[in-house]
Amino acid sequence: MNKKEVFKLAKGFRGRAKNCIRIARERVEKALQYSYRDRRNKKRDMRGLWIQRINAGTRQHGVNYGNFMHGLMKENIQLNRKVLSEISMHEPYSFKALVDISRNAFPGNKTVAPPKKEGLAILV
Amino acid sequence: MASLSLCSSLSTTSTLSQNHKSTVRAFKTNLNFLSSSNSSIRLASPKQPFFVPKLSQTEAPSTLAESEIEPTTEIQPTVEIAEAEPKREEVFAVVMVGSRQYIVFPGRFIYTQRLKDANVNDKITLNKVLLVGTKTSTYIGKPIVPNATVHAVVEEQALDKKVIVFKYKKKKNYRRNIGHRQPITRIRITSITGYQDSPAVTLP
Repeated sequence: MNKKEVFKLAKGFRGRAKNCIRIARERVEKALQYSYRDRRNKKRDMRGLWIQRINAGTRQHGVNYGNFMHGLMKENIQLNRKVLSEISMHEPYSFKALVDISRNAFPGNKTVAPPKKEGLAILV
Repeated sequence: MASLSLCSSLSTTSTLSQNHKSTVRAFKTNLNFLSSSNSSIRLASPKQPFFVPKLSQTEAPSTLAESEIEPTTEIQPTVEIAEAEPKREEVFAVVMVGSRQYIVFPGRFIYTQRLKDANVNDKITLNKVLLVGTKTSTYIGKPIVPNATVHAVVEEQALDKKVIVFKYKKKKNYRRNIGHRQPITRIRITSITGYQDSPAVTLP
C-alpha cells in the first residue's frame, strides 16, 4: 500500500510530516527529489574534499596541489584523487615519496621554511 | 603518535552508495595494548601509521582507531595475544577494478562492480596494481607496478541495496518512481605478490 511506504520513508520528519499522509506525501516526494539530485552532487563534493586534503598534504612538503598533479601526470602515475587523499592521510611516508617524484618531474616550488615563531613561542 | 583512523576507500566518484554495505573486519583490537606497552620501543623506530580503510559513506574518519604495528622484538609476554592472529604481512596495494581504484589489504573484502563470468569461490588475479606499499618501502607504478598481482577469491555475487530513483516535474503532473539495485561482487583479497623486483622507494 503506498501510504505505508510513504510513512516508512517519512520516519524522522518534523511535525505532522511524519504522521499525516497529505503532508507526509509532499515531504517524502521532496526528499526523494533531493536524494536524486544529491547522488550526483555527492560525487562533486567528494572530489572537492579529496582535492583539499591532497592540497593540505602536499603543502606540508612545500608543493602545492596544481604542481603536484602536474608532476604526477608527467610521470604517468594514474592514482586518482580519492586514493591520493587516503594515502596523504594514513601513509605519510608513501605520500612523501609521491611528492618527491612529482617535485623531480616538475620543479618550481620553493622549499619549505619553518614558520617564524613570534612572541612567547621564541622561548620554546 | 598520530591517531589512526579508518577511512573510506571503496569507491570513486561513480558509486558511493555501495559503501554502507561494506563492513570493516576489525583486526584484533587487543593490539592496542601491545602498542601502548611497547611505546618505549616505538620511539626508537617510528613506523608509518598503518592504513586501515573505512567503508562508510563519507570521508570523515569514524571513531574506531586500530593499530596494526607489530613489535620489533618478540620477547614480551604480551606478544602471545598478537601471535594468535594469523601471520599477515603488512602490505597494501592500490588496485584498479571496474574503472575504480581501491586500497586493498590481504584478508579484507571489497565490493566491486559485477564481474561477469565469475562464479563463487573463483580465484581472481587483479593485474592493474598502481601502487604497493609495505612497512619499509613503496613501489610506485608508472602507471602500474610491473609483475605485481593481487590474488582474490570471489565471495558473493549480489545486488546492492535498493536506491529509489524518483523523478518529478512540478506542475506538469510527471512522476516516475523507479527502484534500482546495482549488481555487485564481493571479493576477498588473499595476497599481494610479485612486486619485489620493481623500482622501490625506501622509506625512512
